[in-house]
Parts: sequence; C-alpha cells; structure tokens
Amino acid sequence: MAERQTKIDVKKLFAESPKTPVKLDITDLNNFVYDMSRCIKCKGCTWVDHIYMPGAQFRTKCPTATRYLYDSYGANGKMRIGIALAEGKLQWTDKLLEIIYADPLCGACDVGCKRNLDLEIGLTLEALRVKAVQDGVGPLPAHKKIAQNIEKQHNFFGSPHNNRTTWLSKAKLTPAQKADVLYFVGCSASYSNPEIAQATANILKAAGTDFMLMPDEWCCGNTVFSVGMIEEARALARRNVEEVKKTGAKTVLTSCAEGYRMWKVDYPKLLNCSTDDLGFKVVHLVEYVAEQIKEGKLKPTKSMNMRVAYHDSCSLSRLSEPWTPWEGERGWMGMVEPRLTRRRGTNGVYFQPRDILKSIPGLELVEMPRTRENAFCCGAGRGTKEAFPDLAQWSARHRLEEVKYVGAEALVSACPWCKNNFAQAVKEDGDAIEVLDISEVILASIATKG
Amino acid sequence: MSISKEAYTVLESIVGAEYISDDPAVCEGYRSGPGGYESGLGYERVMTVIPGCVIMPNSTEEVQRIVKVCCRYNIPYVPYSTGFYGPRSHPHVDGALLIDLKRMDEIDIDDKHWFAVVGPGAIYSPLQEEAMKRGGYVVIGGGGAQASVIANLIGDGWSPLSHRIGLPHRRILGTELVLPDGELVRMGSLAQQDDPFWGEGPGPDLRGLLRGYTGLRGCLGIVTKMAVKILPFQPERLEPTGISPHTSLALPEKRVKWINFVVPNKEAQVKAMFEIGKAEIAGAVTKVPLFWRAIAKAECKEEFWDLWGKENSDSINKFFIVRVLLIGFTSEEQMQYDERVLMDIMTEVGGEARPTKPSDESWIKNADSAGMWMMCGSYVSVDYVIETLSQATQHGETYADLKWKYTPPLMPDYGDPGWFQSFELGHQGYSEFLVYWDQDQDTNGVDLFYVDTAKMNIKNRAYTSLLGPHQPLYLTGPKYGPNYHTWLLRVKEEFDPQWVCHPPVPLAHDVFMERAPWMKSMKDWEVPKDLPK
Repeated sequence: MAERQTKIDVKKLFAESPKTPVKLDITDLNNFVYDMSRCIKCKGCTWVDHIYMPGAQFRTKCPTATRYLYDSYGANGKMRIGIALAEGKLQWTDKLLEIIYADPLCGACDVGCKRNLDLEIGLTLEALRVKAVQDGVGPLPAHKKIAQNIEKQHNFFGSPHNNRTTWLSKAKLTPAQKADVLYFVGCSASYSNPEIAQATANILKAAGTDFMLMPDEWCCGNTVFSVGMIEEARALARRNVEEVKKTGAKTVLTSCAEGYRMWKVDYPKLLNCSTDDLGFKVVHLVEYVAEQIKEGKLKPTKSMNMRVAYHDSCSLSRLSEPWTPWEGERGWMGMVEPRLTRRRGTNGVYFQPRDILKSIPGLELVEMPRTRENAFCCGAGRGTKEAFPDLAQWSARHRLEEVKYVGAEALVSACPWCKNNFAQAVKEDGDAIEVLDISEVILASIATKG
Repeated sequence: MSISKEAYTVLESIVGAEYISDDPAVCEGYRSGPGGYESGLGYERVMTVIPGCVIMPNSTEEVQRIVKVCCRYNIPYVPYSTGFYGPRSHPHVDGALLIDLKRMDEIDIDDKHWFAVVGPGAIYSPLQEEAMKRGGYVVIGGGGAQASVIANLIGDGWSPLSHRIGLPHRRILGTELVLPDGELVRMGSLAQQDDPFWGEGPGPDLRGLLRGYTGLRGCLGIVTKMAVKILPFQPERLEPTGISPHTSLALPEKRVKWINFVVPNKEAQVKAMFEIGKAEIAGAVTKVPLFWRAIAKAECKEEFWDLWGKENSDSINKFFIVRVLLIGFTSEEQMQYDERVLMDIMTEVGGEARPTKPSDESWIKNADSAGMWMMCGSYVSVDYVIETLSQATQHGETYADLKWKYTPPLMPDYGDPGWFQSFELGHQGYSEFLVYWDQDQDTNGVDLFYVDTAKMNIKNRAYTSLLGPHQPLYLTGPKYGPNYHTWLLRVKEEFDPQWVCHPPVPLAHDVFMERAPWMKSMKDWEVPKDLPK
C-alpha cells in the first residue's frame, strides 16, 4: 500500500520507471506497439469529430471503414492486427494484405485519434506496409508495376520520360533557366493532367513570378513510399532533394497535394531530417496564390458565376504538417522524453484555398458537411486506386453525394489525383457536376498578361 | 476456432457472402484489447477471445434468423454494436459468432411526436445533431458521443444533463428485442401496433430483460430497434468551432451558458446542488473529478502530468467546484431569471463565479469520454451509484479511501473523490468513481480493487449500479437480493436454456474469479461447486 501522497513528484516517478527506447521510425513496427496497444475502440478514427457531426447522414470520415464495414478495416481493427503481426501471432494472407492496403492512408484516423489521445495511428499504418514489404509479401502487383514504371521511365505511368515536359508546348511560356521558385510538376500534371501544369505556370506568370523546372524531373515517389517500398522511396527522395539543391532554388512549389506531402513531410521523414532542414521551402500553389492575392500581386477580377464545393485533399490538409525527427524513451504512465510535438492535423492548409475561392467575384463557396480535418477522402491516393479501383470509385461517389447534398455545381480540389478520381465517377454516372482543379479556377478568374 | 462449414453456409445464406467472415485477420480485428475500456486487466486477458466468425445483419428479421441458426447448431453468439464497452461486450468463449450490428444504424425522427427510432449501430452524436436541428435534445451518456445509443441506454446513459431531464433509461419507448431463441418481443406500444410512441404496454413490463439492474451485456437477447424520447431544448444553433483537437460548440450566450462556481466546502457544494434543484433551474449541475480540468487544459499526456504534478492533496481536496449549465428553454427571459436565482443561491452558500468559456467541449453534443485514456493509457469507471445528494458524496470518499490501498498501480490522484452531481432536479445524487492505470504495470491490484469495491459497498449498504454485469453474481446477488442472482439465473435458464447468448454472462465475473489465481485471496463467499455454465 502506498503512503497517502500529499504531493506527487512526477519527474522522480518518471526517472525511476523502466524505459523503452522509441523512435518515430516506420521501418520498425515495434516502435508503435505502445500506440497499437492503447487503441480504445472509440472509433474516433472513423466518426466525424462529434462536435462537427452533421447528423444522420455523412457520419463517418474513413473511406475504408465505411466501405468494408468490418472493424478490421478501420484503424481500430488494424491496431489489433498490428500487434498480432508484431508478436508473430498472425500470418500474412491475401485477406490480410487487402486489409492493410485497401486504404488511402488519408490521415482521417490519425487526426481523429489525436483529438483525444497521443497515439501515432498514421505512422503505424505506414509501418504495417513497410513490414509487409520487409516480410516479402508486399506490395501488391499493381504497386510493383508502378515501381517498375518509375524505375524505367522515372514516372508513375511508364510513359516515355522524354514526354515529361510536353505540357509546356501548350502553356505558351518558357520557364526560367534559374529562379528562386522551382515548380515541381509531378507525374500527373506532366502526363495526364497537363491543364493543371499549364494553369499553374500561367498563374505564376500572371503573378510576375519567375520559375524554373527541375532540369530532369523524376517521380516524387509517393506511391512507392506509401505502399512500404521504403528504400526505393528513400533513393528518390535523396535524388530529388539533391537535384533541387543543385539548382539553388529557394522554394519548391507543387500543384499536386500528394507531391506536396512527399516533399514537405515524407522526404524529411525518409532522410531523417526536419522539414526546416531541407534547405528550401516547400509550398503548394494555393499557399503561394493566397499570399499573392493578399499582397495584391494577383487579382481575381473575372466573375465566375457558380456554386462551388471545395474538397480538402488529404495530403494538403490534415497530412501536411511539417516533419521533425524524434527519438527518445517511454516511461512512467507512457510518457515520453524528450517532449514530442504531435502532428495532429491542426495546421493543415485549410484556409488558403477557401480564401482564394471566396475572393473570386460571383463564385459562391459552399461547405460540405464534412470539411477540413473531417473531410471524406476521394479514395484515390497512396496506391489505392491502382490496387483497389472499386474502393477508389466507391469513395468518390460517396463524397459526390455530399456535393449534391449542398447543391454545388462544381467540385474543386487541389490535387490531380482527386480530380481524376472524381471526374471518372462523374463521367460514369452522368452527374451534372463539373470537377475542377483549383489552378484552373484561379487561372480563369485572373487577367493574364500577354 | 471457427464455426462449422455447414453452419457457416446457412448463415451466409441469410446475409450474403460480403457480410460474414471467419478469416483470421478479420476476426483478429475484433479482439477486445489490449487497449480500451477496462482492457489490459485480468478480466480482459482471462475472459476474452477473438470471435470464431463475424456476421453483419441488416434487419431484425436477419438477426432472428441468425440467432435461430445459432440455437440449432449450438453456436455461442455475442451482440456487438460499437465494441467500445471493453471486454464485457466481446466473446468470452472459443468459436463464438460475433453479431456486428453496425449496419443497423437507422436514426428516424418522428417530427410530430418527438421521438427517435434508432438501430443498435446508431451512435449518440448524429442523434443529438438531428434532435438539435429540431430544437430538441437527448442525453449523451458519459460513455461518450461514440457510444451506441441502444447499448448505452440499456446500461445507464446518464450525464450532467440528467439533472434536468432525468435518468435516460426511463425514456426508452417502444423496443424490439430478439430473444436468445430468435423469438421477437415487442415492448411498450409496439406490443400492440407499429407505433413505438410509449414505453409501457399492457401486461408485464419486460424491460427487465434488457437491463437487470444496469444491463446484462446482451446475455438475454439482442435489441434491434428502440424508440427514444426527444425533449425540448432551445431554438438557437450551437455552432461548431475550432480545428481538431480544439473543437467546441460556440454557445448562444443568451440561451445556453456554463458557469463554474467555487464554493467553500463540501456542504456548500451539496446545498448549492440541492437548492438549484429545488428552484427547478439549470440544465446540468455537476462536480467532475478535478483531474478532468487538467485533461481539458493539456495538449498531451506529458503536459497533463506537468499540470497534475503541480497540485497537492490540499489543492485537490479543499477545492470545491459546482459547474452549472443554464439553458433558456423557453426564452431569454427565462434564462435571465434562472441566472438571478442561481446567483442568489450562490451568494447564500458563499459561491464565487469563475470566468467560464462561452463554449461546450463536452456534454451537450460530445461527451468526451475518449480523453479519459490520455494520462495513463488505461481506464474504467469502477462504479456509479444513485443515492441522495448527501449520500453520493460519501460514496466517492469511501472509494478514494479504498483506492490508497491499490495505489500503485492506480494513478496517484491525491484522494480525489470522483464525479458527483445532481439528477432529476436534485431528487437524486449521483456518484461515479473512475480509476486509471498503466496497463504495462502489474495490474492485479486493479482487479482486486474492483472486487473490493463491491465488498465495500455491501458493507456500507450503498447501492452499486454495476453489481449485475460487472461483479461476481454470487457475491453481490445474495447481498442485494437477497435472491437477485437466483432470479437472474432463472430468467436466463428460461429464455436461454442452451446458454448460447453471450456465455458465461451473467456469471462471467464469477468464472473470472475461479480462473485468475491472484483473485483467490479475495474470495470469501459461497459459490456452487460447479458454476452452472
């Protein structure tokens, strides 16, 4: 029996307790055993934040848990599965691989959990995929094909590498040889969505911003990283960061949310440095444009009479907080030392795209019931659409129900992968909804020079 | 161990292949622990196993058919709504069929008569939002906004809002229950017609089949539908604000307002609550454990301990707070009147109003139970009692006293006497005692504390709400009955002679006592040589 404390010496209790070393390192699932073992099945990973719960419709924010329903597909189930895997009590099967990979890793679970708890759910899900690769069972065939494409042609699609800058011919401009701003176009805008690259380039031109491209741009590695091919992803990160450093650019600007997350969060994660230590700043187009509008360098003057809903692309919003490496030890009551600033999704890029859209004359921005950190992912990202196209399309359709619910004429996002996934669903279903990338909307609203 | 192929095929024919699985990975995802409510304790380790199979019905009829198949093939089954309620809502025997009810998540509001018909997969916050859109409200129980409405109401479902609108389980209206043999019981007005508007009906009231004292954890059947009364709130919108984790409802201050008062002593605390009830004002009146304030202020676990470490036994035990929610149910003027009365009462008892944020983080729409795990990683509400206001405070103090014996592994809390509040306008006093620990430590002491509290309550003649499903039935039944256990087991035998419905509940804690060697020293009561099942 303890003596009745009149005072608790927390520092002493911590100092005298047994310690476990721990790192935010996804190459070892054991780093996240504590997090997995403290999941309480509140399903904060699945439900919309209860404060923002919109009612009987649109209650959940996790595409996977909503589509497959079994607890096992939600983060709460995967935490239990993860422990069994870490302890060697569960064998890999096709079903288990489906559970681990049928998931856009959209971060809704991580933010939902961290509203109340300090558990690293998102990193655990990444670590599970790394373990699948380490154990020789992952990734899935569709992912391996992408990895081969990247290895051979340096792009996601396997298209000829030489075609990477074809989009420039219609952009009617020539990037600078050297500039402070480097536009990292990304595979999608380079090959399948040239309209985004062209719009971005013209917006920069309209703002009077000189920009350069990477002399030889390669894939950012989003998919290989996201499916657990950590060494391949690290090689790409190292190569791309070095290439940018060689150019002397001070800012890397992306028009792709997935690419933005890679540069800002996952490259530092892979290279064991902090975002601030990359040697250059990473911004998404919307951050840049919002700033330019604020400074009066860009003026959206052309009226766009439409009712628009904005979809928060996960990698630009809740997944985009900067990365800082951390390692330390866990002791009494699960406390860690040194202190860890958890990434809770609070400081995602939520307001800039909305500020831009609100500044456009005639454009009416309406919020969907699930917004910002509670947004329902389109379902395409991080290797999902390639391996589980049904899930991706189901998620897009589910989200489009919200667009219809608020009576929007157009859905705007800030990521080509979102745009393509939504556009496919709209086309297949014959919905009267226009799907646009925000770069297209911005370009249409500003007076361009020349 | 999975169920037989033949039985699986029959079950699959009921729900379709997509909604049944005995895959080991799928079943592993339904494991009770190691984290969660009451998890990481001996009960969870000794008494729970993963299901042999999971099935997800979509209608009452499908539930009936599934249950009948279980009876035919002698398959133990467990109803499961959200899984939040820890090990006691998970399978206790090998080869069990877990009936996951999340597809049955309807929330249908009867706008004319103001009740909601909900399915077992429906949780509180969407129901509350729908109610508030209509100017109404329900109580979101302390179990949290993420709790199944039905499961929580069967068990308890109370919160500080119970000061005004009473014990929520009294607002259970027409209800459908699938008995352990698959027969459908329609309770209340549903017994005679399809309108669930009323809770009672002609003949015996069968709601005891749902609850016993405070719930039977599904061992007497599966509730597939329940109508819940919605009560008038006020018309103005409570606007959600902030970004996670700092989200809250902005309150329309002329219609809804929290005020925190500090009063000089415990007597003043009780008197204030009593007088507030007597004056029939306020929507909620409560005194929560003081470490909840630190949880609310802290950004993370480490910061919580920074804050809590600054306290001492005096700062905790000589700090008396009364937290009051004013609601202008009928008008702004009514709330102004309530506030004047409240201030008069506080002047009388020596209370002093503290600055209080014009927002609601927890209780109106988001009962924030998930935060309870932040500081230690493991948590359970070990008991709740409904007594008089003056008795309820004593209950908390006896718990705090007993807790010293088991600290550690229990969290050091300077003897905080727990949660205490007014129910039903002060006609009842509520006390809830919550304990916290780190499951990586030796947790046997928590298991012992649990049963020791039952003994303490028996000795002190306190009514303990959790005696039915959470304590050894042969310890508590004879003392509280004198034949509660006999009654309950007879009912069980009558309705579930095969004991297929969530075995070995309601004898699960008795079985745990037998299986856990570290509990032997605690056992000083009579049990049959062979527990019935």
